Amino acid sequence: MSEDRRVHNRLAVLRAERRLSRKQVADKLGINYQTVGYIERGDYNPSLELALSIAEFFRLPVEAIFSLRPMARLSAEVFGELPADGH
Amino acid sequence: MTTTISNRIGYLPRSTRRLLVAAALLCYPVAVAVLVGLKHTSLSRWLILAAFLVLVLATAVLVTVGYVYARGRIEGRCARLDERDLALRQQAYALSHRFLAVILIAATAAIAIYLTNGNTLRIDANSFLPAVMWIVVYIPAMPALMLAWIETDQPADV
Repeated sequence: MSEDRRVHNRLAVLRAERRLSRKQVADKLGINYQTVGYIERGDYNPSLELALSIAEFFRLPVEAIFSLRPMARLSAEVFGELPADGH
Repeated sequence: MTTTISNRIGYLPRSTRRLLVAAALLCYPVAVAVLVGLKHTSLSRWLILAAFLVLVLATAVLVTVGYVYARGRIEGRCARLDERDLALRQQAYALSHRFLAVILIAATAAIAIYLTNGNTLRIDANSFLPAVMWIVVYIPAMPALMLAWIETDQPADV
């Protein structure tokens, strides 16, 4: 597997949804707040331990937050995407 | 004032940081080259000394900037190093090892080629001291400089 393979994530969306700052998330996870930003931006792939801690923090399965493929929009995943003409 | 400067250094964009690291690595060899190359010219000795001192001072300042940027992340003095910091530190050490190995191999090869062409090499204080100074200045500073080189731009605060 390529070393620089990107892991996509929904961290920014989940954080915005719960109105949490990077610092708040970082403090709970015991990491630096910049690291949260680097993960959100896709510049850093977290370890399995950190990914599981993040999943536990948001009370979601890890695959709901991290994926090897680009993630679908959360709204589309929850409600299903309507056809382009709206019917 | 010190905190402001240190904060500004912490937020330097990657392109600027890389420029500063390259300058830090080049200033001292250029200073020695200026001293050796211009020694036998008609230029004023004071002028040559001034140029040498300016370049040495620039090296000291730039290396200090590297140290301030690393902010204890290299020596582990930083209170909280998370997994990303530790991974980056490892990467910085590996890169500085690779860089020093390349310099050492290149210098050894250059000397070997010089000697096999029938030349002789005289090691005296004039050639030995700059080399020792290079080691004293750069070997301890290299991991901090490499960290400043590899670190990506900080994400915007949100």
